Amino acid sequence: MTRYLNAGNLLNRRGFLANTMTGLSSIALAQLLSSQNLLAAGIDDALPIRPLIDPANPNAARQPHFPAAAKNVVVIFCAGACSQIDTFDYKPELIRRHGQPMPGENVVTFQGRQGALQKSPWDFKPRGESGKMVSTLVDHLGELADDICFIHSLTGKTNTHGPGEHFMSTGFTLEGFPSIGAWVTYALGSENDNLPAFVAIPDPRGRPQSSANNWGPGFLPAVFQGVDFNVTNPIRNLARPARISPENDKATRELLNRMNQRHLAQFPGDSELAARIASYELAAKMQLSVPGISDLTTEPAHVLQMYGADDTENTLKAAFARNCILARRLIENGVRFVQLFNGAYQTGGEGASNWDGHKSLKSQYDVHGPILDQPAAALLKDLKQRGLLEETLVVWCTEFGRMPTFQEGASGRDHNPAGFTAWMAGAGVKKGFTYGATDEFGYKAVEGVSTVYDFHATILHLLGLDHRRLSYYHNGIERRLTDVHGNVITDVLTSAS
Amino acid sequence: MRKVTRSFALLPATFWIGFVCAAQLPAQDSSETPPTIAQTIDFGRDIEPLFAAHCYACHGPTTQESNYRLDVRSIALGVADLGDPPIVPGDSLNSPLIRFVSGEDDDTLMPPDGEGERLLDAQIELLRQWIEEGANWPDDEAGNKETKISTDHWSFQPLVDPPIPEIDTAIAGHFQAANEIDHFIASGLTRAGLQPSPAADRITLIRRIYLDTHGLLPTPEQVQRFTNDTTGEAWSTVVDEVLSSSHYGESWARHWLDIVRFAESTGFEVNRDRSNAWYYRDYVINSLNDDKSFRDFIVEQIAGDALGVDEATGFLVGGPFDIVKSPDINLTLMQRQDELADYVNTTSTSFLGLTVGCARCHNHKFDPILQRDYYALQAFFSGVQHGERKLTRTVSDQTRVELEENEQQLKSQEALLAELSATAPLDSSKSDSLLPSVNASMNTDSFPPVEARFVRFSINRCNQAEPCIDELEIFDDKSVNVALSSSGSVATSTGNYDGDPKHQLAHINDGKIGNEHSWISNSETNSWVQIELSNPARVERIVWGRDRQGNFADRLAIDYAISISMDGKKWQIVADSNGRQPFFIDGKEPEGAFIARLSESDAPKARKVLDEVLRLRSAIKTQGESIPTAYIGTFNENETTYRLHRGDPLAPREEVAPDVLTVMEGLGLDSSVPEQERRLKLANWIGSDSNPLTARVIVNRVWQFHFGRGIVATPSDFGVNGARPTHPELLDWLTLRFIEHGWSLKWLHRQILMSATYRQSSKPAADSLARDADCQMLWRFPPRRLEAEAIRDCILQASGKLNPQAGGPGFLLFRVDRENVHHYFPLEKFEAEQFRRMIYMTKIRQEQEDVFGVFDCPDGGQTVPNRNRSTTPLQSLNLLNSLFMLEQADSLAERLIAMTGDDPQAQIKVAYYLLLLRDPAADELAEAVSFVIKFGLANFCRAMLNANEFLFLS
Repeated sequence: MTRYLNAGNLLNRRGFLANTMTGLSSIALAQLLSSQNLLAAGIDDALPIRPLIDPANPNAARQPHFPAAAKNVVVIFCAGACSQIDTFDYKPELIRRHGQPMPGENVVTFQGRQGALQKSPWDFKPRGESGKMVSTLVDHLGELADDICFIHSLTGKTNTHGPGEHFMSTGFTLEGFPSIGAWVTYALGSENDNLPAFVAIPDPRGRPQSSANNWGPGFLPAVFQGVDFNVTNPIRNLARPARISPENDKATRELLNRMNQRHLAQFPGDSELAARIASYELAAKMQLSVPGISDLTTEPAHVLQMYGADDTENTLKAAFARNCILARRLIENGVRFVQLFNGAYQTGGEGASNWDGHKSLKSQYDVHGPILDQPAAALLKDLKQRGLLEETLVVWCTEFGRMPTFQEGASGRDHNPAGFTAWMAGAGVKKGFTYGATDEFGYKAVEGVSTVYDFHATILHLLGLDHRRLSYYHNGIERRLTDVHGNVITDVLTSAS
Repeated sequence: MRKVTRSFALLPATFWIGFVCAAQLPAQDSSETPPTIAQTIDFGRDIEPLFAAHCYACHGPTTQESNYRLDVRSIALGVADLGDPPIVPGDSLNSPLIRFVSGEDDDTLMPPDGEGERLLDAQIELLRQWIEEGANWPDDEAGNKETKISTDHWSFQPLVDPPIPEIDTAIAGHFQAANEIDHFIASGLTRAGLQPSPAADRITLIRRIYLDTHGLLPTPEQVQRFTNDTTGEAWSTVVDEVLSSSHYGESWARHWLDIVRFAESTGFEVNRDRSNAWYYRDYVINSLNDDKSFRDFIVEQIAGDALGVDEATGFLVGGPFDIVKSPDINLTLMQRQDELADYVNTTSTSFLGLTVGCARCHNHKFDPILQRDYYALQAFFSGVQHGERKLTRTVSDQTRVELEENEQQLKSQEALLAELSATAPLDSSKSDSLLPSVNASMNTDSFPPVEARFVRFSINRCNQAEPCIDELEIFDDKSVNVALSSSGSVATSTGNYDGDPKHQLAHINDGKIGNEHSWISNSETNSWVQIELSNPARVERIVWGRDRQGNFADRLAIDYAISISMDGKKWQIVADSNGRQPFFIDGKEPEGAFIARLSESDAPKARKVLDEVLRLRSAIKTQGESIPTAYIGTFNENETTYRLHRGDPLAPREEVAPDVLTVMEGLGLDSSVPEQERRLKLANWIGSDSNPLTARVIVNRVWQFHFGRGIVATPSDFGVNGARPTHPELLDWLTLRFIEHGWSLKWLHRQILMSATYRQSSKPAADSLARDADCQMLWRFPPRRLEAEAIRDCILQASGKLNPQAGGPGFLLFRVDRENVHHYFPLEKFEAEQFRRMIYMTKIRQEQEDVFGVFDCPDGGQTVPNRNRSTTPLQSLNLLNSLFMLEQADSLAERLIAMTGDDPQAQIKVAYYLLLLRDPAADELAEAVSFVIKFGLANFCRAMLNANEFLFLS
């Protein structure tokens, strides 16, 4: 047992005492189970690390496994499967062979057969000192290419949205697994005491395909789930109900607190009871801090302008820009994990309000590109100029990629998990760097072929977490974000990380 | 404990070494990732398929000529009857196998002429390279025979009847044992140097047993009856009372439904609700209330269709199901494998407490479960499909017989139709003259001008769901759209889709296009919409679409007719979908479209068969409408089951017949066993008295839900990786008696509830807390927060709003937007229907119930044998501020006033009595009175409903 704890370097005295003192709830259950088997087998570095959670303060900050490059994360998730072909993965050969059939067998993808190869309707231009070719669809992001580390060789396991979104957000294609944000919060706790540790910001148009599964706790304790809100839709039930006056509200909470304290006196040392008392205090703090965080009236005009939040013509862009500003403010205030969605399914499927451009790529991406581009780029710039990028990892990802062909009889691209792009920027990753490559058309990853597991392993690594060891015991299995897979993509890391 | 000693015949150590190696290299185990191009030979990918295709017929699982087989490593790399080892690792030149397959010598050519296909040169080169590299053959592919396994793990051993331990005199003085359970617990406490707690007071006890078994508070009458009962039978009477109430089943069904991941939507991308899945929920409630033998409960859930208990098989298909289908074969095969995995995993974790799912890609790393075992178990479910089935038991025999006859006939007529379709030429000269097939954005049907007052658009069939039309335009011979409501034309229809303002009948002729302004029928087939023109007109062209903005392509009418009439009685068809190229669904042309390509002489017969098919379908439909349909799965012919290399559906290996775990006694079935019989065999094996796992697992679960923690702390993992039992003798003793009592759950509950162990106080004792914080040894009754359902139900009970209506269709706490993808929005207004017990809430995956979901309420995505109990500020916000809670606080206040009048003291006393079953202490009362006077009774109720004392079971 001692060995297990030392191995994890996690012996947080306070947490440990709290745990042995109470033993409440199944958070602490089975803490030492399979480690004994692994010890017996003489396997040291495979020992699972299950963070010790103090039930009275489950979101207390916890140490990483090793020194971390990044303290917090913003994930920009483009729902609907954003095409690598039309954004960041430049393929001159595709332009040359435009209109020709793709060599090889006629691949049957999600919606069926393929038409001819199709170059992107947008031009690519060299950007910055790195000369990275980025499409004019995302000009603002392109201008930041020198700050970005592109990964062009991701591969997925599914070509359908629900499982694809699950996979990117939870590491499994199936239902019911914890989201990456929940894993990180479980591992590291919170750095603030008046905001949630993990916030999901849905797109102004609604929720993504897999809805709350993207930020759900799965089988982790509910305390680690993401809290979803954005600038227009506040946290449900956060505000004091209008019909209850502030005085009444305050008196009621005080009465409740006295009731609970009296009850606690009969159960000395019961931290589950103490935790409920504390949760009302944190709720009260959130009532004060969250509306302030979401209130952008204190942002100066030049900031609103930089994000495009003042755009009166493209109101969707302005709304997404406000969510981007919210993301920055959350990071500024010590929120551990922010998941920022671009694209929704609630207001129209198949490309109408997300990146799922099956039938009319040009007209749909002409809508989605501008909504994403300037606000997301401004977020990156803003984090950088405030020095927040030193400790913050920004991740851009999507379910999977799209085909270099148009679908037979259509003017859009079908799903393609065989090779797609994601990028990272900020703490611990190389700048102006490109890792991996797809084939000459952008269809399949051929160089530095990486899996979503590798991608997750890398994110955890940057947070100082060993993806092979961060685990939670559920139903007989030491569950990990990366299942039994994954290798950190070391090439994208700066030497220090 | 007696050990099972089964054969260690062949290399017993290999299996264990195999898993240790695998555990050392977690990152290397890419069981589900497609292999990338590798420089070295991979046995499973490159070599095993060659053996399987070319050699197994004579040297494989069934036949071993020359006593040689290539499916078992130890034999393949060993010596055959011929003498020399055919494979010499590292030396291909001296490996006879290479000589045999390359045919250097005609006499020894393998496979011999006529007995199999010869290997290609490239394949021989692969073999050569593999041998040169050392004939690397991984442990987990070493073959079934080689991994003949045994185990001395406790849970696989037969049950042993232990002696009842004596209670130590040091304890006996203040711990009055009520039954055998207490002897085992007391002996454990003595060993651990712990003291039991004194018995709890009666108020605590009655509150505990009601919350524990009913998830509700006891009524004042129930409390009084118990506190006034001075006989020695008082507690026994209460135990009988709670177990005979139907609230017991309503409360404990929730535990089982968590374990079997039951929810009422598909999950995944579209997450559609399953409005008739509730039959299974009611089945579970009723089974518990009827104290159905748990053995029968098992068998019915796996094979209830064989026993006249159809709704029980809702168990099989209660999980998530990805209904987004694709022509991509990779996706389709993987989806099917995931479905099968869900059946196998849920069955094995729920009943056996084994994580068989781990063996989908490789031998289990910890437990004695081979990869082959996983597929052998999968074979029991190979005919199970998600879907609805008729509850035929609910109708008369005559109807059922007629229905079955019609279904038989339909099958043969459909087969005949398929035969005829195969005779039709692929092309028809007629097809050139046809209009293009329908498309979702816009279609035009022109015809010679005709005088009309009515134009009707009839839709026989759609590509998906109910048909949608965004605008129906009717042009006269001057190209004027005469359909517009603005010109006085009026739309009517057979029925309209309910509940979404986007889709209205008036939208069909409002001049606005797109999904936002469209009409949807209420029926998937045979509906119509018609326009009565303000004045008769000479009509010559109809323009219609599903969504002219191009966002939606579902709900498209593909089989339709346009007819006109002057009087609304006599109709004339002017255009229909026969005039168009067929619309292909999933690459198939619609049924009967081939008739158009038949010759004049062949067509009539085919048309007659098609008519008969349609007639039978309609008859079956009519008959079927009297029979309820439930989401309880369908059963097809068995699919052939193969072991899949690394779980990859594109890498099938040998065929696998249904069987149970190798480590246990096999059932000796072969692949010819029919579908239903397979499941029945499996179910009977699981539910047999001699199965060492099943009864132990359920006894432990029941114990866990009473005490918050099982004798085995990992209730769905009785494997090597799980926790050891804290009281193994108690577990075996209880399990044996449980079996003797016919697997009666109520017998088991009664033993536990009657025990002095259960009746201990929950108050902490500092010494014991320091030594056994988790209360593993049960030195007190461990207190716990109520689960989400109990919290909601108790609040409604306290406010007087609880609607006792039991069973039947569930209530939704969402407004549902039923597009292709279903979207759920929490209700903002509640009716009595929504105040039923939460077990009757239609449980939607991914969408937490708005107020109580955040209390660690699982969503049915994965099986949950024991809920987390975490504490979050969102819980507090929901309980303080949600509309639901404010309304309940108001209702409670009204109820208190109605019961007591205007006196705050009386109001507060009753509130304490209803919620906490006790009188307020003097200081509590004084404080509450001054609060109520100043801030009102409703605010006091709001605080009470948030109090820990109310929300905890202690």
